[in-house]
Amino acid sequence: MTVSTAHSTVQINVPKKRRNSLGDYTRYLIASGFVGFCLFPFYIIISTSLKSDADIFAWPPVWLFEATPENYYNALFVFGGEGIFKYLINSLVVTGISTALAVGLGAMVCYGLTRFKVVAGNHLFFFILSTRFAPPVAFVVPLYLMVQRTGLIDTHLALILIYTSMNMSLVVWVMRGFFEAIPIEIEEAALIDGYTRLQIFRKVVLPLVKPGLITTSILSAIMAWNEFLIATVMTQNSAATLPVYLAGFSGSMGLEWGPYLAVGTMAVAPIMIFTLVLQRHLVRGLTFGAVR
Amino acid sequence: MSQRAEARRAATVLVAPAIILLLALNIFPIIYAAYISLHHWNLASPNPPRFAGLFNYEELLIDERFSNSLMVSGQFIFLAVGVELLLGFALAFVFNSKLPGLDTLRKISLLPVMAMPLVVGLTWFYMLNENFGVTNWILTVFGFDRQPFLTDQTLAILSVVLTDIWQWTPFVTLVIFAALQSLPEYVFEAARMDGLTERQIFFKMTLPLLRPAILVVLVIRAVDAFRMIELIFMMTKGGPAGATEVLPWYLYTTGFLSLNLGYAAAMAVVMIIVVTLVAQVLVRKIVNQGVME
Repeated sequence: MTVSTAHSTVQINVPKKRRNSLGDYTRYLIASGFVGFCLFPFYIIISTSLKSDADIFAWPPVWLFEATPENYYNALFVFGGEGIFKYLINSLVVTGISTALAVGLGAMVCYGLTRFKVVAGNHLFFFILSTRFAPPVAFVVPLYLMVQRTGLIDTHLALILIYTSMNMSLVVWVMRGFFEAIPIEIEEAALIDGYTRLQIFRKVVLPLVKPGLITTSILSAIMAWNEFLIATVMTQNSAATLPVYLAGFSGSMGLEWGPYLAVGTMAVAPIMIFTLVLQRHLVRGLTFGAVR
Repeated sequence: MSQRAEARRAATVLVAPAIILLLALNIFPIIYAAYISLHHWNLASPNPPRFAGLFNYEELLIDERFSNSLMVSGQFIFLAVGVELLLGFALAFVFNSKLPGLDTLRKISLLPVMAMPLVVGLTWFYMLNENFGVTNWILTVFGFDRQPFLTDQTLAILSVVLTDIWQWTPFVTLVIFAALQSLPEYVFEAARMDGLTERQIFFKMTLPLLRPAILVVLVIRAVDAFRMIELIFMMTKGGPAGATEVLPWYLYTTGFLSLNLGYAAAMAVVMIIVVTLVAQVLVRKIVNQGVME
């Protein structure tokens, strides 16, 4: 243990007597078991997507098999008449634009409400935060009629606007802590230097909260990429995203496990890589900005 | 332009777009849902919507499918979130150590949280298949009989619960772990020097200090479990015999398969009221007290 005095740091060895604490081996054993449980379904879906039809339906399950890219070929080019690309592009367009909008507008409103006196500002703030808990399924009926009446059924725009509104609260939750952490003196100095308030936001504040913007971008993107319910109600074909494509297999499932699981693998793979590589950024977002 | 006018203009530019969007896509839909719920509004019927008063709400009161769906939702939330909390809590303590490699394991365990729920449902649907699923293979290896996981009433809801536990336990672990890490170590050192046993330290210090985090993760999980629909879509479609028909699934099928939008909107209004009440309390609690800062 380390004891700091006014002048120096002294190492003192205190024998650790933690009677009730877990043994190291037990810790590793439980932790590995849990990680194994977490990874097993990923292994199943990836390995099955590489199996031939005969191996997929084999009993007992085949653990050693000859991998074939056949299912991926089917999923990419054949299945559903035209393959995956249209849906992939739709997913990318909707995810990209809605993420940019949610992070942009969310950061703006969060900064505006933290730094300026706005009428009923506190109530607005709580309102935005509480929309994080709005259940999409409860909004899907009125939203469907609104989208239908404005002629936006099966368009990217409908999904983009709805996802933007859904993700904004997350951005505000996380950015709150980042904006509050900026010393107000920095902004005051910029004001004296002749910057307008909006210039300060763009040129001084935003660069300082870049980590927050990255975190919220990643999480908003994942939410938009994974979203199913709104997408399946608002789109049918030309703007349908990957989850809609995937859900469309639902009827023919008995026969087409291979390509189905190949599509599933392709839908989760990018997110999985994101999660591992950008772990540090995710944690703060997942815990509502409460963990630094 | 004066300083104050400029500040006001800046505030408007910053705040207005987001507020307008939320008014249009959050507040207006709530009002519109209430309006729809007061009508006979069926897309399958050739007649235009007509005013129905509280008819749809009266129907809800006597609709056994609705009360069943509330009960199934309650079951699902209670079982899934209960186990997630217990398991996640225990695992947070397992991971709370400086042993090499444990950090990496913890990070890998976060993978399920980010996976597309629809694919999670698909994967478990495949794994739980009665005829060639790997879960039944594991059972037979240990000498048990195959189980009809998704076609037996009790097993079906438990299967969905298991899948949800798989996806969300790591999230609970993450939050409790983060809260544990933020507890000041010197307090515990002092307690040990004062001769408190580990058991006393756990029940009298650790647990009370973790309470805000536990409460927050409990409510977040409960609210999110209340809206879950993807696993049902992929695994059971509400069956067998309504055993997994949670409220979101009943609402969705009423609105978009039976096309009875008026009735679905009435359910939506009930759901929004419940969630809003919970969210109001929760949001203020998190913002005012902080969770683990």
